[in-house]
Amino acid sequence: MKFTAIAGACLSLLSSVAADANITAPSSSKVALPSTFKPPQVFKNANLVHVVSLEKNFAKESINVLIENVSPEPQDEYFLPFTSEQMEKVGGIEVKDRKSADVVGFTVEAVEFDPLSDTQYYRIRLPAPLSPKSQQTLGISFHYLRALSPLPAAIEQADKQYLLYAFSAYCPSAYPTLKQKTEVKLPSADIPDYTTIAGSGDVKEFPVKQGSKLIYGPFPEVPAGAVSAIKVRFESTKPVTHVSHLERDIEVSHWGGNVAFEERYTLFNHGANLSAQFNRVKWAQSQYFNPQTYALKEMKIPLRVGSKDAYFTDVIGNVSTSRFRSNKREAVLELKPRYPVFGGWKYPFTIGWNADTKFFLKKSASNYLLNVPLLEGPKQAEGVEYGQVQVRVLLPEGADNVKFYTTAPESSITGHSVDLERTYLDTVGRTVLTIKARNLVDDFRDRELIVSYDYSTMAGLRKPLIIFSSMISIFVGIWAISKVDL
Amino acid sequence: MDSSLHEIWQTAPGSPFLPTVGKGSQFLVGFALLLLGLSLTGAFAFNRSLVTLPALGIPASLAIAFGTVYMFCAVGVYV
Repeated sequence: MKFTAIAGACLSLLSSVAADANITAPSSSKVALPSTFKPPQVFKNANLVHVVSLEKNFAKESINVLIENVSPEPQDEYFLPFTSEQMEKVGGIEVKDRKSADVVGFTVEAVEFDPLSDTQYYRIRLPAPLSPKSQQTLGISFHYLRALSPLPAAIEQADKQYLLYAFSAYCPSAYPTLKQKTEVKLPSADIPDYTTIAGSGDVKEFPVKQGSKLIYGPFPEVPAGAVSAIKVRFESTKPVTHVSHLERDIEVSHWGGNVAFEERYTLFNHGANLSAQFNRVKWAQSQYFNPQTYALKEMKIPLRVGSKDAYFTDVIGNVSTSRFRSNKREAVLELKPRYPVFGGWKYPFTIGWNADTKFFLKKSASNYLLNVPLLEGPKQAEGVEYGQVQVRVLLPEGADNVKFYTTAPESSITGHSVDLERTYLDTVGRTVLTIKARNLVDDFRDRELIVSYDYSTMAGLRKPLIIFSSMISIFVGIWAISKVDL
Repeated sequence: MDSSLHEIWQTAPGSPFLPTVGKGSQFLVGFALLLLGLSLTGAFAFNRSLVTLPALGIPASLAIAFGTVYMFCAVGVYV
């Protein structure tokens, strides 16, 4: 009788959990327009400065443009064109008002209209419509992944590496541009090849070379959609680190007061391949006199102060060539891969660490707020690019009403879902928030991911209650068996 | 995405979440509770009556329940 009552109580507990899975899932944004869509010619670019920064191993572009509304109506939609190939590689589009930091609320959305068209668009919605003949200065920044290719594609182990980048001297725009120039920032002044084009005004030929910088322009008025193909080949004897997949798990434990992080990387070096067999002796010798190499031999991962229990494993097991420096001021995980990762080579590995909840979790009036970095990972001078990123936040069992917000660009977030996953001592499973993102770079390290969730005391007591009910049923069973008179 | 969360985080009162039992004492608490639970189970094994069932069974089950949870945490499986 007692046993059935307890079993009934357990079942009612489980059913109440299943019923209160009231989970709010925010939506990611895309805007669908007719297949005949063309951006209305309501703006002109009065002045534009296009900065192409190739100092890291991805191409970072920023466009500072003074836009003017040339239509008789107020306008709030500015379109940014990309080719289909660029759409695959572009990421992290952010827009700011260059003149006033107080102006916020720019939204960037990919336009879906004709998938076969070579020109695709992102739509920038201004926080407030721009009245006729008014001007506004936009600072648009984004980056392209897999944009730099080695040339020559195969080199000797100790050779210098040269990378090639192709772009347009005229900044691609859906609107006519009255005046513009393009600055190309390179990691070194060793630039053996670059496209020259006819100059304008006093300058006979573009670009003008200033140290490690090339300047194309200023150009006179350029119509909408005009391009002028340019190639730049420059020295960059650094690894072209590309993480094709990153799976990052953040596991919150209220009982243990712990936030556990685990990151699984599928890392490639997209630099030049070796033209001959890897020579270990030559490599060991070069470490003494020529540390500059295009092989990835070390990574430094700064973690939050207070991190502990760090580990570094790969498919073989623990990698002992790592060091974890943790003190009151810093916590740095220094990793040396099992082998130097040359161009075309792959190195999948896993790292993880623990931290206390007091650094990340707050209890608000009715719910809990978790604030963790969306992305951590290596902080390298040459940069790291991430193709596909999956961040999973494993909340305690019974957490519901999950909401999230990230300060990373919304256009890079491709999807999200809330599911359940069973691990140790779980009955219904932990609530898991999965966020998928693409085309991120290490510039977005430490961008915040804020998750809010409800978690009742009853849900918190589920684990001990389940064990309690199991134990008491064993006691009742033992007692009942002891009463059987054989 | 819920952009109001950023503001809520900024304005939330500074009350970082601390567990009931800190990381440093989880092993001690877990071990003590499990020991207590097993001792009570042993006591019940000697005298299996309808009186000792609630008198020893319930505290033993409670001690084992919380002890198991804390022992899981103490060995690094943060449930």
